[in-house]
Amino acid sequence: ETTFRSSDTHPEGYPTVTAVEYMGELLEERSDGRLCIEVFHSAQLGEEKDTIEQTQLGVIDMNRVSLGPFNNIIEETKVFSLPYIFRSTDHMHNVVDGEIGDAILAEFENHGLVGLAYYDGGSRSFYNSQKPITSKDDIEGLKFRVMQSDVFVDMVDALGGNATPMPYGEVYSSIQTGVIDGAENNWPSFESSGHYEVAGYYTLDQHLIVPEVLVMSKAAYDKLSAEDQALVRQAAKDSVPVMREQWEAREAASEEKVRAAGVEIVEDIDKTPFIEAMVPVYEKHVTSEKLKSLVEQIQAVD
Amino acid sequence: MKDKIRTLSSAIRVLTTVALWLSATGLVLMTAFIAWQVYGRFVLNDTPTWTETSSVLLMGWFILLGAAVGIREGNHLSFDVLLFVLPDRVKRVFYTVSDIVVIAFALGMVVYGIQLASNAWSTTIPNLGFSGGIVFLALICGGILMVLFSVERILRRMVGLPTARFGEDPVEED
Amino acid sequence: MELFVLFGTFAVLLLIGTPVAFCLGVSSFATIAYLGLPPVVVFQRLNSGISVFALMAIPFFIYAGELMVRGDIARRLVALAGSVVGHLRGGLGQVNIAASVLFGGISGSAAADASAIGGLMIPQMEERGYGKDYAVNITVVSSIIALMLPPSHNLIIYSISAGGKISIADLFTAGILPGLILAMSLMVAAWLVAKKRGYATEPFPGGRAMLALLINATPGLILVAIIFGGVRSGIFTASESSCIAVVYAIGVTIVVYRSLSWSDFVAATMGAVRTASMVLLVIGSAAAFGWLLAYLRVPATLVEMMKGVSENPIIILLLLNVLLLFLGTFMDMSPLIVITTPIFLPVAMAYGVDPVHFGIILILNLGIGLCTPPVGAVLFVGCAVGRIGVGEVFRTIWPFYGAAVATLMLVTYIPALSLWLPALFR
Ligand code: NA
Ligand code: NA
Repeated sequence: ETTFRSSDTHPEGYPTVTAVEYMGELLEERSDGRLCIEVFHSAQLGEEKDTIEQTQLGVIDMNRVSLGPFNNIIEETKVFSLPYIFRSTDHMHNVVDGEIGDAILAEFENHGLVGLAYYDGGSRSFYNSQKPITSKDDIEGLKFRVMQSDVFVDMVDALGGNATPMPYGEVYSSIQTGVIDGAENNWPSFESSGHYEVAGYYTLDQHLIVPEVLVMSKAAYDKLSAEDQALVRQAAKDSVPVMREQWEAREAASEEKVRAAGVEIVEDIDKTPFIEAMVPVYEKHVTSEKLKSLVEQIQAVD
Repeated sequence: MKDKIRTLSSAIRVLTTVALWLSATGLVLMTAFIAWQVYGRFVLNDTPTWTETSSVLLMGWFILLGAAVGIREGNHLSFDVLLFVLPDRVKRVFYTVSDIVVIAFALGMVVYGIQLASNAWSTTIPNLGFSGGIVFLALICGGILMVLFSVERILRRMVGLPTARFGEDPVEED
Repeated sequence: MELFVLFGTFAVLLLIGTPVAFCLGVSSFATIAYLGLPPVVVFQRLNSGISVFALMAIPFFIYAGELMVRGDIARRLVALAGSVVGHLRGGLGQVNIAASVLFGGISGSAAADASAIGGLMIPQMEERGYGKDYAVNITVVSSIIALMLPPSHNLIIYSISAGGKISIADLFTAGILPGLILAMSLMVAAWLVAKKRGYATEPFPGGRAMLALLINATPGLILVAIIFGGVRSGIFTASESSCIAVVYAIGVTIVVYRSLSWSDFVAATMGAVRTASMVLLVIGSAAAFGWLLAYLRVPATLVEMMKGVSENPIIILLLLNVLLLFLGTFMDMSPLIVITTPIFLPVAMAYGVDPVHFGIILILNLGIGLCTPPVGAVLFVGCAVGRIGVGEVFRTIWPFYGAAVATLMLVTYIPALSLWLPALFR
């Protein structure tokens, strides 16, 4: 009997966590109890950058991670982290479910990992405590907390804001006291972090719709028989629709809570000026021919 | 033999001073960086994005160099209840075992620090542009110093020279 | 078996006097090797454990404390405290406690408090005929106040050990009432012991003298206002405030008091580097140890075991307190926070205890451990400053322990003491 240790930085009950647990149930059932998964949630085994390394080393067997930390390791993944690369969640699904998604997933094998599936990471939008952002001009001079990432800093700067890297844990009180004006995230995080209590304006510009991945350690994968490998892959695939369903439900629940709290939501916003402002960001970060061609291919998908 | 080790000690003492000054400079620079971060954000409304990552980097250096110096000066916290009741001869054996344990761990810092550095060499630290490998240089350098300082302690003990322990007065060196 | 390797190696090394940081590191190393996993993980955890932005508050607060002791800020606070409570029964004992409240409000370290206030107060108390043991007892136990009142770098360590998701600002605010209650119960104990021993009181210096001392100490007291005002008005964050405390302490001691020479500055910086790197290395190795605890499912197993003992949160909290007090007599505070938080916090939360409340219980509990033999950093500092044996102090320290443990029970079973203020500010 083998129990795979799987890492996740999200807490118990989060859609990504329950999806991997669901995959474990499928696997246990289909292998007659030989293969199980135990999810170590809430970053018990470390932050994503570290758990990726642990997965590559074979210390842990599986890992649910965002694509950001892979940008340094696998060049192709950068393309998913570009602002406004996806027009909508459906567009993102079409890309990752198609050839482009498969090709990028296959890249993981060169780095000691097996890419099993894409999960949803929601769409990130700006929120702030000052005013409703209805056009790009409204961002001018506002201080937005961003993650420690060059693309994020460049994106906010290109929009005319003041990009302020800051640890996540300090964001709530920093918006409350006015150290910063706002931050950016998806519905579930905006709600569960409580940031909606202090940032009353949320603008759905959806600058990032970034998928997440479920990977397995190549060392653990290679130890399995061909049938078991197929079982693992299939169970991962089968967890995706469940994950998407739960994600949608979670998003809807968060949205309802945030709306009920009286947060002003700006929904219909002309994204064109935002996208146009990204030209220098793309010029700086889409450097190789490979990335340029990937950007074009993604834009060509419906 | 004793004289040779005294000579070695005085050479190592210079190294300790250098490490301590580097460490202290790190702390002062960290203070300056974070103060600048607050000033940039609040007064200039233009947050410097390099301050956070670079101060974390400096902190790693100052901790590991400072901790290495702590080995030599006997600053590290330990639990000496059992040691109180033991005869000096046994105590010295335990001290040496502890020094060997420190050497083993410090060697791990060097060897695995090199592995971590080479893995991370091709990555870049966000908003700083340096290679991610340099993060681990502190681990490697701190490890080398710790090995050196622990070997010195064992040698000094072997020839009957004093070594510092936590809670005791610092050893006067000649 | 893996657990046996982990805890066994740790215990043996601890007993033979290996520095705690290396006990943690090497026992993790040994366990990883036993499991047949790549040891590089240990060093990855060590490195990640010390590369956390919020940790920066620890060296900064230690640094600010060093500067305040060497730059005359601490002495002026003691003088002010003397004018306010010196006329109460147990006079200088009360002053000692009040000075810890003032100094503790700007410093986060119990050891700094014991050496700063003890260094100033113990000789004075002895001169006025107070027993040396009484002076040291009060110095040692009242230094726990510095841990409870903001700023407290130990609360930052707690927040980080809990995964960085507990607001540091909330924790800081939560410590205020328990810290003041501790001060008051210690004052009662000091009063009772002084009455029994027939100690004298100090004359009340009069309003004018008090005002002069207040003005004299104002630049030091302003630091409290600056830290709180700065954080509350959005100029800087709670963890950045530690850096501002350093900048301010340098400014006051060099420009206002002109009491900090270049060599004082160098000595303060070196002192801070020595202390902080030692504490932080322990935190780094504990990150490796904590990783193994999670990997070996220790917290989950413990929660299950506790559930087997009792379903009653009152009993579980008592059990946790007894366990922590026991561990606290043997080990130092910061490593214990990092080791026990990932284990005990899930247990407490499973019984509905608020993580902010639990943090305050943990800090107060482990603070008491700092004053108990065999391992008690603050007790040693107090005895060293007072030049008195640990045994002699330990014979008469009980009334003060009693006051501290009574406060701990109040804080444990009345969550509002910790949670009311942060809710008010939120
Ligand atoms: Na304090
Ligand atoms: Na103790």
